[in-house]
Amino acid sequence: MPDPVLQVEDLCVSFTSGGVTADVVRDLSVRLDGGRTLAVVGESGSGKTITGRAIMRLLPRGASARGRIVVAGREMLSADERELRRARGSDVAMVFQDSMSALSPYLDIGAHIAQAVRLHDPSVTRRAARARAVEMLDRVGIPEPAGAVRRFPHEFSGGMRQRAVIAMALVNRPALLIADEPTTALDVTVQAQILALLRELQREYGMAMLLISHDFGVVGRAADDVLVLYAGRQAEYGSLRDIFEQPAHPYTAGLRAATPRLDARLDTGGERTRLRAIPGAPTSLRDAGPGCAFAPRCGLADQVGERCVVEAPLPTVRPTSEGGGPHLAACHLDRLPALKEVAR
Amino acid sequence: MIVYIARRMVTAVFMLLAIAFVTIALFFGASKDPARAMCGKPCPPETRAKVSAYMQTDQSAVWQYTEFVKGLFVGRTYGEGAQQVHCDAPCFGYSFPNRSDVTTLIAERLPVTLSLAFGAAVLCLVVGIGLGALSAIRKGGIVDRFSTGFAMFGLSVPTFLVGLLVLQVFGFMLNALPYSGFVSFSESPTDWAWHLIGPWMVLSFILAAGYIRVTRTQLLNELSADHLVAMTARGASTRQVNRHAVRGVMVPVVAMFALDVTALLGGSVIAEKVFSLHGLGDLLLSGVNESDLSIVVGVTLFSAFLIIVGNLIADLLMPLLDPRIRRA
Ligand SMILES: Nc1ncnc2c1ncn2[C@@H]1O[C@H](COP(=O)(O)OP(=O)(O)OP(=O)(O)O)[C@@H](O)[C@H]1O
Ligand code: SF4
Ligand SMILES: [Mg+2]
Repeated sequence: MPDPVLQVEDLCVSFTSGGVTADVVRDLSVRLDGGRTLAVVGESGSGKTITGRAIMRLLPRGASARGRIVVAGREMLSADERELRRARGSDVAMVFQDSMSALSPYLDIGAHIAQAVRLHDPSVTRRAARARAVEMLDRVGIPEPAGAVRRFPHEFSGGMRQRAVIAMALVNRPALLIADEPTTALDVTVQAQILALLRELQREYGMAMLLISHDFGVVGRAADDVLVLYAGRQAEYGSLRDIFEQPAHPYTAGLRAATPRLDARLDTGGERTRLRAIPGAPTSLRDAGPGCAFAPRCGLADQVGERCVVEAPLPTVRPTSEGGGPHLAACHLDRLPALKEVAR
Repeated sequence: MIVYIARRMVTAVFMLLAIAFVTIALFFGASKDPARAMCGKPCPPETRAKVSAYMQTDQSAVWQYTEFVKGLFVGRTYGEGAQQVHCDAPCFGYSFPNRSDVTTLIAERLPVTLSLAFGAAVLCLVVGIGLGALSAIRKGGIVDRFSTGFAMFGLSVPTFLVGLLVLQVFGFMLNALPYSGFVSFSESPTDWAWHLIGPWMVLSFILAAGYIRVTRTQLLNELSADHLVAMTARGASTRQVNRHAVRGVMVPVVAMFALDVTALLGGSVIAEKVFSLHGLGDLLLSGVNESDLSIVVGVTLFSAFLIIVGNLIADLLMPLLDPRIRRA
């Protein structure tokens, strides 16, 4: 087996404020090979962005990460500033959740891309770097790239901006791309185009992609494997097929029940399913008790009984379909009953 | 661009003309008779009427205004025969108490006020931006707590009090600073600065408070902004990121500075009084005291002109600093 591009072991991220430390991500383990896409799904606040930023060691003030993160052979959590700078933007790049605020209002699009080039290869001249920017904008399908490099972020439409941000992230051909909700702000047609573009570039560059999303429809269209996060914990992990066809966690099953068909992957427009289809308010790890974080919203907790409230379930191995990778779910139930009864 | 500047200039001229009119009207509404002061101690009514006619202060405000505007283009002549005085083409009026035309008076006083305002501006920008930036970078640290207190104090204390305090502490108690007088820059740059340190401190003390606050807030915003996180994600170092963050601070600072040109000139009036400097502010005050219309109008217009130019420069600078402001 080749070395994975991304390996995360027992990742915990905690925030400290006013002397109080609280975990927002706990015991996360992930393995991602080149050329493959792992989707990270979960409700707002479940820790998707924090996980992505922990991988790049880009945590906000007050946050700290424990565990082990290896990106393209580099230990990220023990790396020093210089090593981190070398890794960021070159081994691993990120497409941020909000393309408008992720671009500097004071620089034109070309300057952003040229900066990414020159930060990693100072021997490239300004002029050559801007020429690279034009090439890259052309590659991501921006019309008239020679003029577009001179435009400013606010002069771009949302879809164009997203393409530009992708160009910026991929200009140094990273081994790993972390795409944080790359299509959320876009309308359905553009969304499909951007997803197709990402898939195409991924094939071309052979890179691994961590696709963060809260849209099960997007996941169905783009992912190879899926990690379902609930309140900062791994609820379920498995191949797209296993997650869609034989979910083992009630939360996943609830999401699945609200998503029409696996072949949603093929239809570009139409019905999309957001994760809020499950009733009840999402819990954060902060106010979770000792038991299963999903218990307050789980329709099956009654069947299991007290165990759900007193003991946190650990991920255990579940049946896999042919050719699928590992399938893990963190639930005390060994088998789920028919899908319909799962969500309350 | 050129069209834009031209249009702004035309607007400015009309604005200045309006300001002149308002000043003249106010002067006539509120002032005592200017001829009174000029005609000497025993002042029989007929002498006074003559003086009044000679100074042309016996005419209505509207007449004054038209004469003033005319004077701007063709100059102005007061009195007749031996007593005749002439004031050349851009004539902003003639000051009888000073026996000089206002343009000359302003030109005489300008170096003092400019030195005062320029030095204070530099000092307040350096101190304000410096302290603000340090406060933001080490939020909650010693510098931050000190400058927050400093800003609070600076924003709430009146100028004259600070002036007297500085005068007291440095001038008298420490015997360190000269507490009055002005030495021109060309004469001796060190003496020039030495004599102005007191007023500079007073003026910048008050204005710096605003810059500390704006710089701190804006830099804190910038430092946690997504686009700087994204820049780090591209592989930039903390130094490079911080340098870029400064871009975002420049815009509000320039906007604020444009407004502060007014405060700087206003503050100069007080600082000049406190430190016995003979600048424009002092000229204006003497003009008011002596009911000297020409000086009041001249200095007011000139200050308004400086303010308008300051704002124009800021408006031209802003789009260069922030592309989002560029053309609508
Ligand atoms: N700067 C911060 N200080 C304290 N807590 C934070 C901070 N940023 C995020 N969190 C907490 O971390 C948790 C995970 O946040 P994260 O941004 O990763 O969520 P997300 O899954 O990306 O949600 P969304 O779909 O809204 O983007 C949240 O519960 C949030 O309250
Ligand atoms: S452990 Fe219990 S509460 Fe948690 S998901 Fe499974 S059945 Fe529901
Ligand atoms: Mg997020």
